[in-house]
Amino acid sequence: MTVINIRGENVDQTWRDVEVAEKTRSLDSVILSFASLKEHIETLDQKSLSRIGVRLTVNDEIGEIADHARHIGLIDLVFPNFKDGRPFSTAVTVRRDYGFSGDLRASGDILPDQALFLARCGFSTIVVPVQFPVKQFKTSLGAYTIAYQAAVDSNVSQVRDLRRSAVEVVAE
Amino acid sequence: MYVYDTIDKSLLNQRVAEFRDQVRRRLDGELTEDQFKPLRLMNGLYLQLHAYMLRVAIPYGALSSDQMRKLAYIAETYDRGYGHFTTRQNIQYNWIELSTAPDLLFDLSEIDLHAIQTSGNCIRNVTADPYAGAAADEVDDARVWSEIIRQWSTFHPEFSYLPRKFKFAVTGADADRAAIKFHDIGLKIIRSDTGELGFEVYVGGGQGRTPIVAPLINSFLPAKDLLRYLDAVLRIYNLHGRRDNIYKARIKILVKSLGVDSFTSQVDAEFERLDPALFVVEADEINRIRDMFSVPYLQADEDVKARLEERIEESPQMRRWSDSNTHAHKTPGYAIVTISLKPIGGIPGDATAEQMYAIADLADRFSLGEVRVTYTQNLVLPHVHQADLFVLWSELKRLDLATPNIGLATDIIACPGLDYCSLANARSIPISQRISERFSDLESQHDIGPLDIRISGCINACGHHHAGHIGILGVDKRGEERYQLTLGGQGNGESAVGKIVGPGFDEDGIVDAVETVISTYLSVRSTGELFSQTLERTGHAPFKERLYDSN
Repeated sequence: MTVINIRGENVDQTWRDVEVAEKTRSLDSVILSFASLKEHIETLDQKSLSRIGVRLTVNDEIGEIADHARHIGLIDLVFPNFKDGRPFSTAVTVRRDYGFSGDLRASGDILPDQALFLARCGFSTIVVPVQFPVKQFKTSLGAYTIAYQAAVDSNVSQVRDLRRSAVEVVAE
Repeated sequence: MYVYDTIDKSLLNQRVAEFRDQVRRRLDGELTEDQFKPLRLMNGLYLQLHAYMLRVAIPYGALSSDQMRKLAYIAETYDRGYGHFTTRQNIQYNWIELSTAPDLLFDLSEIDLHAIQTSGNCIRNVTADPYAGAAADEVDDARVWSEIIRQWSTFHPEFSYLPRKFKFAVTGADADRAAIKFHDIGLKIIRSDTGELGFEVYVGGGQGRTPIVAPLINSFLPAKDLLRYLDAVLRIYNLHGRRDNIYKARIKILVKSLGVDSFTSQVDAEFERLDPALFVVEADEINRIRDMFSVPYLQADEDVKARLEERIEESPQMRRWSDSNTHAHKTPGYAIVTISLKPIGGIPGDATAEQMYAIADLADRFSLGEVRVTYTQNLVLPHVHQADLFVLWSELKRLDLATPNIGLATDIIACPGLDYCSLANARSIPISQRISERFSDLESQHDIGPLDIRISGCINACGHHHAGHIGILGVDKRGEERYQLTLGGQGNGESAVGKIVGPGFDEDGIVDAVETVISTYLSVRSTGELFSQTLERTGHAPFKERLYDSN
């Protein structure tokens, strides 16, 4: 499995997929299903929570663990299908509403051509689907250097800022 | 006209490069057709019955003469010498090769044109009042706000994979010439009692399988909150719109199932959570855009009208054209001229490359280089001095572009139908051509008065049949093309969904049925009563009787 960050660099894989907590002796650097995390969440302190990841499908409602969300180490949002754009909005709300600053990961059925949008919505890492070359994701991340909208990332420059500085240059 | 600055241009160039790479990957087999499809669709490229069709965006239906020339050039270079103006104020080319599509897009980009988001489940080209900036009845220029929405929605990272397509329409005038209540979001620019600029916001209108006139969800949205509010609406839709059934995926279904109040309160709550700073459009930026749309000062000319009248007296033909194809301009002495793309027996919305070149030249001579596209598939020269009307009319006549039928029986809206479209169940174009020929007599058209006949070749309703006074829907009945007739729709000014009158007709029968409906109207109307008013007074009964009695 290849995981890249939003600069297109490979990221060391320290997280283990275990789905349910009972399958492992140590809850360190594991990714659990949402159901399993919910089951154990009240027994976990902030420090242990920061070593745990959770995988959310489009049907899982992160609001159910709202009070704990920002302490989680990694949140993995799964695209059931590349045409299903819900995780883009979920990413924005997870960052904004829960102040989540950990690793926000995109996985599942993703096209390379969506990589920059993922970055711009607040994802920090992407699981590259096996059928696509990593290179294509890197290309896509660099396909645009500017954007009209404000966004949480700094992958691109905002048109608004560019226009403002253009005006300032003229004024000088 | 809005002219791209170097920033807009670099973004567009990056798109052209990206699309070229996507096409290469598809041709090399790196992308499957299923993976390529949403990418090409977001660039307006459809695979139709005979070839690829490319839909080029005409933001808010506004073109410069040079852009019109480029559209003509594209028609003769990459297509078969013509283009088709659509009910979304765009233009479509029907005979495109995938391998040369990237070159075509490069050519377009040289003059700030593109096919970005003209298809796919994303925010589509924003449509607007084609008379914007010229109409006497406007509060503000709809193009300014449409351009702000265009920029915000272009390559939106969060809202490019929505449950379904998403369409905006904006009007700044009192009369609705953009059918805003038949859109996912319709915006009407208004001023509050204190003079503040803002919008009435209508959400969840649409046609297709479930025609709905959009309810008002915000009666005054201050202009400064526009993008923040739109962001809230789109996020609620993206997260909660249905994705299990393509026919129930539009925002109208979400609004309907939640109820207007509940939907609105979710939007309001989301709006409150958003940081206004992220969505502010500074006054400098609004002014920058506004300045580009402003035209040179037009000197009012109160006397020209009388001189024109003298000229018109000599030509009844000219009078007819002037009555139906011109509209009041905000500056006395000027007129808004509609160029009919509905010649008798022609294909609604089609224009040849020669016509497009000629229209571009006429725009330069008579209309400050501006052309508009209407959603009724005609073109508009927005700023014509009345002293030039006679010459303009003569020139248009020579080009077969002066049919005096705007708003009349032969000003028919029709989708491409089964002649081109892979979704269609029946042909639309030949039906519209036959109806047009049946009512070719101009005297009787003017006697019948304002009448919207609209034809769709399938339930997707690209021909806006739900909103026609007389609507025709092509259906497939056991392998045969049949046509359902609806009456009472309204899409101009008022908005209403028509109702099916009775059993459908075959190809010959539907043309006769339209004639029967019109002759019924002529026999039962009171003096001065328009078709829609008669229908409202009498209901379907007299029409139904005449249509089905003999059977």
